[in-house]
Amino acid sequence: METILNVAHGFGVALLPVNLLYCFIGVFIGTLVGVLPGIGPISAMSLLLPVTLSGTPESGIIMMAGIYYGSMYGGSTTSILVNIPGEAASVVTCIDGHEMAKQGRAGPALGISAFGSFIAGTFALIALMLVAPKLASVAIAFGPAEYFSLMVLGLVVLTFLTQGSMAKALLMACIGVVLGLVGLDSITAMPRLTFGRVELIDGIGLVPVVMGLFGIAEVLLNTEQAIKRDVINTKITHLLPNKADWKASAGPVSRGTILGFFLGILPGGGAVVASFASYALEKRLSKTPERFGKGAIEGVAGPESANNAAAGGAFIPLMTLGIPPNVVMALLLGAFVIHGLQPGPLMITQNPGLFWGIVASMYIGNLMLLVLNLPMIGMWVQLLKLPYNVLFPLIILFTIIGVYCSSNNVFDVYVMIAFGVIGYFMRKLGYEPAPLVLAFVLGPMLENNLRKSLILSQGDLMTFVQRPISAACLALAVVLLVGPLLPALRKKREMVALDEGA
Amino acid sequence: MSNDANVKFRLSNSELWGGLIGLALGGFVIWSGVRLKLGTINDPGSGYVLFYTGILICLFALTIIVSAVTEGGPTLASRWENTRWSKPLLIIACLTLFSFALDTFGFLLSAIPLMVLLLRVIDPVRWSLTIPLSIMSPLGMWWVLKHLLGIQLPSGVFEIG
Repeated sequence: METILNVAHGFGVALLPVNLLYCFIGVFIGTLVGVLPGIGPISAMSLLLPVTLSGTPESGIIMMAGIYYGSMYGGSTTSILVNIPGEAASVVTCIDGHEMAKQGRAGPALGISAFGSFIAGTFALIALMLVAPKLASVAIAFGPAEYFSLMVLGLVVLTFLTQGSMAKALLMACIGVVLGLVGLDSITAMPRLTFGRVELIDGIGLVPVVMGLFGIAEVLLNTEQAIKRDVINTKITHLLPNKADWKASAGPVSRGTILGFFLGILPGGGAVVASFASYALEKRLSKTPERFGKGAIEGVAGPESANNAAAGGAFIPLMTLGIPPNVVMALLLGAFVIHGLQPGPLMITQNPGLFWGIVASMYIGNLMLLVLNLPMIGMWVQLLKLPYNVLFPLIILFTIIGVYCSSNNVFDVYVMIAFGVIGYFMRKLGYEPAPLVLAFVLGPMLENNLRKSLILSQGDLMTFVQRPISAACLALAVVLLVGPLLPALRKKREMVALDEGA
Repeated sequence: MSNDANVKFRLSNSELWGGLIGLALGGFVIWSGVRLKLGTINDPGSGYVLFYTGILICLFALTIIVSAVTEGGPTLASRWENTRWSKPLLIIACLTLFSFALDTFGFLLSAIPLMVLLLRVIDPVRWSLTIPLSIMSPLGMWWVLKHLLGIQLPSGVFEIG
């Protein structure tokens, strides 16, 4: 009964005209960046982070969340029609989605992708609604040791899942922690690594770092190759999947939804991992695995449901523990902090309007996305024809303005350009930026909780292993760190390791 | 990649350079941590976490160096093989010039030339589109920010914008 009352309260917030507008803007931009290859939800969210300042916290966060789950819908359109993933979570959709399009079945592929996404998104929201308050009440008992160990686990999982060498990913995470510590020490108020620059006293801004590493660096990388696009030109019909399509897709949608939701909750996991895991699962369970790669609808239905369910699940650690499980959620945490809010176990009870308003807006956003992605598919197809030589300079201009507006400071523009160049060279040398960004956000929290734990325990390191949750997190982190040394586990890691970029 | 793209203990090994940069960075972080005071385990100081993170950076960098020396790695040149490497280089040059000009000349006077350069550098856009787009996009954004959102972009020494 209490949940129903809370949901009703949430809809009261989400249905306010201004919040409906922000929700629409969020899902529209999300679909747009999902459709356009080269720009992902991370770039779009960091670009719009300053815009959240202009409205209430509810409006800003509703819009930011909309961009994230909206991009999951949009990404599939490009994968199916152009064979280029619109964003990282749609990479696997290219395999069977584009094959279906080449066979004249672009309509059912787009249709099942949108419906699967809608079903998974709705399930994830219901689960979020039921799980988050329960978990939040448990999380109140968490002390600094548990928080520290959870954050360590989150970083280790992300480095484990990052493409390429694990040593490189761990190196990136450590550099992220160091960058996060630039500025005044929160306990002693001593300036650290500021090099005498007043602009660095408050630390390096999240927006210039993310915009540089993901926005500018992505443009630089994309300009290295002449991008060829082979957009399916035939008219897209039969968007509603037929009975046989539904029959084939029911299982993959259900399994993808559940798998994606749980992978989304895990620290370091997320939509990209979920989509690949779902594809692998469907191929393994199929009686005719040879159809995969040749236009099997299950290869579209499963991953597309999984990435949307994961997007919903990822809200749980952020809302209940205040720990972002991935880079996108780290940005959302940034939006909360801009408004002076701290997500965590007390947020649901102290700020119910905000929590339930966001949840309710996600229901509405999912409905908006269904309308945006099915009847308006023609508009997105036209957008795919926008030339890149015009798009890239505009992205650069947007990023410059976005960064300047976030702080009204030219110094941040320099920081962004510097991180753009660093990000480009990092990617060229095989160093992924995702662990760096997550560690950059978690760094100050990690340090704070470590120092608090040591002060409280009077320097007894056993405090981290005597508390069961902390011990379990650290044990899992150790397994993941040692795992890649074993040949069998290394092979498994290489199979699931992904590029979390853009 | 060509056959000689994978080299072991040679200066052209890109993995080696990546590791060496990491090692230097780790050394600097350790030194900064020590300078900021480590404190004790009962009462960690400002440099405590930096110091230990610096040690971890050095460890991971050493792992990368060892792997580069024993297993080899792609050469620096092979990383840019078959790419239009001059394009990102030109964009970086444009952005560097822009960053120097922004504070002095203001947003409008620096963003318009930046757009002209970018539109002509990446994959040259015809002049009939480059000129209006280079002028209209910064001008339009400046107008929206200044008049609708009340955000003042840098106006430079000439106070334009």
